[in-house]
Amino acid sequence: MSMDSSLIPQVIVRYDNEQSRRDFEVIFGQDFAITPFSSDATALAHLDESGRCPAAVFMLSDAPTGQDQSAFLLRVRDAFPTVLKILICDSMPLDLLVSLLDRGLVDACFERPFNPDPVRSKVLTAALTAQATPPVLGNLTGPVAGVRPVVLIVDDETVSTRYLSLQLERMQDEFRVLCAANAEEAFEIIRRGEESITVVMTDQRMPGQQGKELLDELKQSHPEVIRILTSAYGEVDVALGAVNDGKIFRYQTKPWRTPELLDLFREALAHHHALVAARENSRSQTDAQFAALRSKRYQRLRDCVSAVLDPIIGDAGMTDWLQALEVIQALPANTSHVRASRDTTLERDLIQQFPELIKRELSGLSLHKAEPDPLSSEQFFAELKAAEAAESQSVNSSAPSLLALFCRSLVVLLKASGMTHMDFATGSECDADVVLSTRRELHMYTHLLAPLTRISQPLLQQQVAFLLLHVAAINLGTKLTVTGGQQRFGLALRFAAFNDAPASSAEHG
Amino acid sequence: MDNASRHHPQNIRLYLTVGQRLLRDSLLFQLLLHDDVELVGESETGLDTLNRLEAARPGVLIIEEDLLDNDGLTIAENALSMNPTLAVLLISEITVSAGRLAIYLEAGIKAVVSKHQSIQELIKTLFYIRNGQVYVGTLQTPGNNAGEAMVAYRALSRREREVAQLMARRVPVKDIADQLGVSCKTVHSYKDRIFIKLGFERLPELILFMKRQSQGAAA
Repeated sequence: MSMDSSLIPQVIVRYDNEQSRRDFEVIFGQDFAITPFSSDATALAHLDESGRCPAAVFMLSDAPTGQDQSAFLLRVRDAFPTVLKILICDSMPLDLLVSLLDRGLVDACFERPFNPDPVRSKVLTAALTAQATPPVLGNLTGPVAGVRPVVLIVDDETVSTRYLSLQLERMQDEFRVLCAANAEEAFEIIRRGEESITVVMTDQRMPGQQGKELLDELKQSHPEVIRILTSAYGEVDVALGAVNDGKIFRYQTKPWRTPELLDLFREALAHHHALVAARENSRSQTDAQFAALRSKRYQRLRDCVSAVLDPIIGDAGMTDWLQALEVIQALPANTSHVRASRDTTLERDLIQQFPELIKRELSGLSLHKAEPDPLSSEQFFAELKAAEAAESQSVNSSAPSLLALFCRSLVVLLKASGMTHMDFATGSECDADVVLSTRRELHMYTHLLAPLTRISQPLLQQQVAFLLLHVAAINLGTKLTVTGGQQRFGLALRFAAFNDAPASSAEHG
Repeated sequence: MDNASRHHPQNIRLYLTVGQRLLRDSLLFQLLLHDDVELVGESETGLDTLNRLEAARPGVLIIEEDLLDNDGLTIAENALSMNPTLAVLLISEITVSAGRLAIYLEAGIKAVVSKHQSIQELIKTLFYIRNGQVYVGTLQTPGNNAGEAMVAYRALSRREREVAQLMARRVPVKDIADQLGVSCKTVHSYKDRIFIKLGFERLPELILFMKRQSQGAAA
């Protein structure tokens, strides 16, 4: 299933003259598998026949005028909506670009002479992530029932925006209109998060941050907000940049006409709803896929360590350990985690490497004590300090005793959170037992049951330590309590007071 | 890359997380040669990076995949959940396969540069991702960078090559001028042309290139 590095994206090129085809092949011949066509008919026939989706379609045009009516681009748009459509031409009139964008006929557009790097990057990225919707990193603001969506207009000409917003508010009741005089003010409104901002239309030229920069940032922080750039100046390069880098929805020329804007905003709202629905769909699909992967992994993990652990901590001990992991919340899974589990050897490597490490750590330890000596908190502290000292000097002795194993595992976990024995505080003494807990929660950014993309050494080391801590605690008669948090966990150790030793160790009998 | 930077007046607020001091310093010495790179923080561990990220407010995070305390990608994912506008460039130990690269991109990483690629490639990539763009250089085995410079070198005029050789031996401009019987101004314009044609920005790049190519020729 996994792709190898010889993967070369299929690219269809529709060209007007031989020279531009040759130039294209010289630049990208190494990177793409190019199939060139000199007419719409042959290119379309090929697309219909092959049935395979290319990564991208290029239109190499001498005269771009009329491309907004191109039968070829129209057909590709309708039949292969996910294929990247790139137009390369000598010079691009702004009104044509606006029209191409309106009709959804191009995803990117470059004027000759162009820098090949971003063009190549676009195609390779599209080829690599064809099936994936990008991860939702920003705060996804879906439609809230009963709350009207808001169109935010950003322009320093406040008189005209105020007039426009009044007009628009009067004409409909599907959305509200807010105005900001500059990018900073716009961010302020968006960050406050009180309004359900759905569409942002910004002027390019404003004091302070420019419109394009505002949209670039918005694309990252609020990917579901529909972005529209507007300008009174016919700056084609700004418009091209906004299309190619900023993936804007539309470029609106000034002066504005209110009915036109009303249509535009309605379309933008519909696009937003489609986007949110698609993301939610992909989100729940990913959640379901990962839940299935996770339950499979849970079972396989349990199976692969049971031979070693069953005699030592039993079924109940293994359940304790896995439950402790389960309460530590990780970041939600996205398509990258599902892909890593499915397309790489991650799952297999995990259940091979993990038990190996556990076996190695436990070898030479005698764990079959009938009646464990009760451990006092003083003993524990002395040993913990010793383990810290050994760790800092990189003394890698195989743990000679259960207590040493316990402390060494703890040091690994503490260290990964930037903590030491000093971070333990004596808590309440209940029933004469001494309870020690860490002052702050420990970090665990990912774990065996969390979404993973790779098995790294630190991950294995921490996970081995986490399991061995359980193993040692059970055998030492020390009660270990893990409380879950967001990529964190609280740790409490309960040491039996000497007098009560038999009672407390019986808990784990 | 200078083309790209001219369009974007704002600085790159850079945070660098690299375990080994030597590598971190070497990278920083190169990156900070660029006026628009502003270092807002550096760490050797993932934990430290996440602790300090909020205060440092970087625009770009360059982070190693293999950190001592955590996996670099895991740390990057956490950094992105704190600040979705952060552009992350991952430095991988080995050349990544297309399949792996897809995983990184889906995780929200903007670009991956391996330790086998040149510093020029890393810097170029940094400038491409500065505004949150994804950048994929090539799926082919990297390393054609030196090849490009070699082609460009062969295309230099005889005089330009002569000047390049002398410069690479650190002969002062004045001495080159005397030796060739031209003015210092002429030597300077040769120098500018050589740098532009070879895609270099500084003398050490030329020295290294000439050294490597003479060794290559001898082999």
